[in-house]
Amino acid sequence: MQPDSDLEMLMARYQRGDFAAATTLIHRLSPQLHRFFVIQFASRGDADDLLQETWMRIHEVRHTYRAGEPVLPWLYAIARHIRVDHYRKACRTAAREERLEEMPEVAAVPPARSGGTPDLEALLAPLPQSQREVIEMLKVAGMSLEEVARATSSSVGSVKQKAHRAYETLRERLSGERLNTGRAGGLS
Amino acid sequence: MRDREIDEILTQAGQAPHEVAPAVLDRVARSIGSSLGPVRPLPPAWALAGGLVLICAAVALAGAARLGLYGIQKLSVLDDALIFPVLGILICLAATAFAGEMIPGSRRRVAPGVFLGAGSLALVAVFAVLFHDYRTERFVSQGVACLTAGLLHAIPAGLASWLLLRRGFAVNSIAAGVAAGTLAGLAGVTMLELHCANFEAPHAMLWHTAVIPLCGAAGALLARAARR
Repeated sequence: MQPDSDLEMLMARYQRGDFAAATTLIHRLSPQLHRFFVIQFASRGDADDLLQETWMRIHEVRHTYRAGEPVLPWLYAIARHIRVDHYRKACRTAAREERLEEMPEVAAVPPARSGGTPDLEALLAPLPQSQREVIEMLKVAGMSLEEVARATSSSVGSVKQKAHRAYETLRERLSGERLNTGRAGGLS
Repeated sequence: MRDREIDEILTQAGQAPHEVAPAVLDRVARSIGSSLGPVRPLPPAWALAGGLVLICAAVALAGAARLGLYGIQKLSVLDDALIFPVLGILICLAATAFAGEMIPGSRRRVAPGVFLGAGSLALVAVFAVLFHDYRTERFVSQGVACLTAGLLHAIPAGLASWLLLRRGFAVNSIAAGVAAGTLAGLAGVTMLELHCANFEAPHAMLWHTAVIPLCGAAGALLARAARR
């Protein structure tokens, strides 16, 4: 998570054509943008492509960022646009292509990290896409409800509702897992 | 399980390091560096919205002046005091919405589609309150003439608005198209209210108001076609 004023200053320098500021922004913000794409069930390869495409679009429309406004909602609004565009293109391509074999509907859940840290992608996998992106923006990007509402072109109320529903689903799942772990522990 | 516990789990998972291949970052930086130059940021949203309002007012006034200001001459003070402030408020809101749609990460108070419906209904309600003549003499012929005039005046308003915001970037092009169409349609309706002296309630409620949804739909279709 970056202090907003720092990002705003870097964006202003980027708009003035400062290459060092552009590079700093790329290095600082790319990991969370990449994760945003991975969480939406994109493969790492797809996420690399989407990340690159997002930065190209950001570069193209960098003049639309206005000084004093928060950077992350602007950035994530563009990233969402790229993701939706990519999804639409993929759907069109899939509709034209013949299916050779049945594919699993949901990508394989990545293995849990070592060291007991829960894996975010696996944790958010059961959530619908709209809830997943809200949780990702709130918990990984550290955005406020107002900023998430701006990034997703929705109201704060709608963001709160999505987060609440996501928590309900996660509560059920995590409580179930805890129960199963407890039972397994009891049996062994 | 409590919210706080879920919060902790998510925060812990969110803080786990996530690396991007350095080669990808270098590629991005190189691509950007090759075409990096200073850019002029967009003016503030209020300035853009103000420009859009001026465009709508200019198109409506110029159009009505050319066709004849018969409507406003025949309207009572009460009619004027209700119709034009409502149109003014709707134009300001539509201009703000359109400017917001063209700037990523802007605050959206209401979805353009909802605004289109609510704005049209508000105008129908105003006409229903003010006009009580329910005759339908030459309903279709006069109605089509008004609808055509309204749509023809919405076109320059829409084009000029698009020209003003051409440097913007719509993350949702269809929503931006609806917002632009609504604004242009409101310019067309304002021209009709200044010009048209037919105060039959069904005429105003149907043919005048229809300019707004038709322009909104046209905006959405054009945006969809442009996206492809």
